[in-house]
Amino acid sequence: MIVRGDSDRRWRRIFLILGIVVAAYALLAPLTSLDAAQSAGVPLLADRLWFRIATFIAMFVVMATAWNIIGGITGYAAFGNVAFFGIGAYTTGMLIAKARWPFLVALPVAPIIATAFATLIGLPLLRLRGHYFAVASLGVGVAVGELVQNVEYHGQPIFGGASGLFLPIYSIDNRGLFFFYLMVLAAGISIAVTWWVLRSRFGYGLIAIRENEEAAAVLGVNTTAYKVAAFALAAALTGMAGGIFSQWNVFINQDNAFPIEYNVQMILMALLGGTGTVFGPAAGAVLLQLLIQFLGGSLPISADIPFVSDAARPIVAQVILGVLLVVVVIFVPRGVIDFFGGRTRLSLAYLRRSLRETSL
Amino acid sequence: MSAETKPQLELRQVTKRFGGVAAVDGVTFEVAKGDIVGIIGPNGAGKTTLLNCISGLYRLDGGDIRWDGASISGMAPHRVARLGIGRTFQIVRPFGSMTVRENAAIGALFGSAEARRKPKEAFEIADEVLELVGLAAKAGHPVSTLTIPDRKRLEVARAVATKPHLLLLDEVMAGLNNVEIDQALDMIRKVHATGVTVLLIEHVMRVIIGVCRRAIVLDFGQVLAEGEPDVVLRDERVIQAYLGERYAKRLKS
Repeated sequence: MIVRGDSDRRWRRIFLILGIVVAAYALLAPLTSLDAAQSAGVPLLADRLWFRIATFIAMFVVMATAWNIIGGITGYAAFGNVAFFGIGAYTTGMLIAKARWPFLVALPVAPIIATAFATLIGLPLLRLRGHYFAVASLGVGVAVGELVQNVEYHGQPIFGGASGLFLPIYSIDNRGLFFFYLMVLAAGISIAVTWWVLRSRFGYGLIAIRENEEAAAVLGVNTTAYKVAAFALAAALTGMAGGIFSQWNVFINQDNAFPIEYNVQMILMALLGGTGTVFGPAAGAVLLQLLIQFLGGSLPISADIPFVSDAARPIVAQVILGVLLVVVVIFVPRGVIDFFGGRTRLSLAYLRRSLRETSL
Repeated sequence: MSAETKPQLELRQVTKRFGGVAAVDGVTFEVAKGDIVGIIGPNGAGKTTLLNCISGLYRLDGGDIRWDGASISGMAPHRVARLGIGRTFQIVRPFGSMTVRENAAIGALFGSAEARRKPKEAFEIADEVLELVGLAAKAGHPVSTLTIPDRKRLEVARAVATKPHLLLLDEVMAGLNNVEIDQALDMIRKVHATGVTVLLIEHVMRVIIGVCRRAIVLDFGQVLAEGEPDVVLRDERVIQAYLGERYAKRLKS
């Protein structure tokens, strides 16, 4: 153990340095696309396509990290968090498109509305436990999207209806860069919030609820208030991502603001990375989003999947994600972040132990 | 003996039904401040249901529970806890992902109404409490490594960390051997010595006679007998409830 301790610490340091280098590259490479950098002869390290993907990744870092607060730390498997994303997107979208608010004034309203909505539905929904909560939250996620598309007033769709909502383009130099850094900022805020939660009285209460709700209650934890607060906090962060997305994408409709598959993806990301941890969901989001983009064929580095036509790629991607979900849940229940703490190592023994722990 | 002092906890005609069955049926008794009272009774007599009623996990179907003269019926469990009523569970419910110290700290973090403690203070209280119950040496251990007796201690430690005025103990001795029972008895005496009123459910008669000043016998949700432990345990109705009519007769002859 003592001998291994040293080498584990060394590995941990290597991973940390590697992580910082990769993160620094990802954050700084887009800057080389600036005109000033180009005219100064700096080689182009990231083009528009790359940081569009990078913005997507940051967006999923926000969503997976936010889901972790209710799903990972509090232990309530929310399957409808995409509702908060869509509500955030439509809040900011409507304020910009219809009320002509400036983007940066409309953006903070998104988390506020998402929080209010989460509080309202959280009060009845969080009385349910286990599968019942998961299914009910999924229902809410689907219902909100349908409502937004179909609500009419005097025969006119209020939120743009099936044809969606067009926003005026945000006039700023280097728009792509701006939204990339804004989304990265949102991701940073989400991770910082998680870090704070896990060190606070609030976080200890949430973990106690996850481990045993009745025991938490008789020790003085106001379980209802805490669960709703965790749900609302997750909604605020997810709503913020939605708000940024609406102006970044300029066009929103039911398909891109309320995609059902995001529900599964953000959970899978948190599980893959490690639920209940600060960086796990973020790591999972980066890994999985890269995989999704790769399978979808939108990465510059691409490979043919044998026996699969281009048209079938998205479907095959879904299948692979499903298989991955099963494998992760059974074999890596604490997420890949488990291997970076210096305590455990990926080995056959680890997989066998996990299988024993997760099977009934 | 509690006639002169004002009762700390009062139960009046407390009733809890599950479907048609009255698990607790018109139970009335009082507990004075600083007392140690034991509740005994055969399996299914309604002992745990009664504790669940007091700690707010169950809503009453009838009657009233009063704390320091004010009704606490229908109050949420966390508010009951913050009034100073701590409890343990018969089947231990540790927070599995936490260490022993963190488990105790949860009680200190949330159990008090007066002070909203910061994690640092809560951990100091947790250390004191772990010392009291004899778990200090295992403070940093994950709960999963604890033995059954230690888990029972942790259950008590968490409740004591809320700084309760009244402690409800649900069969903390069940499953322990004789040596462990003596240690647990010692622990209960220590906790009681800090000025905490104790109401405990127990099957082990040695415990009731050893620490309790008063015993209440429940049977079919009703109070069958009440009084000093050795008097109550010799009561014919009590023996009958526990051992059946035939044995009661045999014992008598």
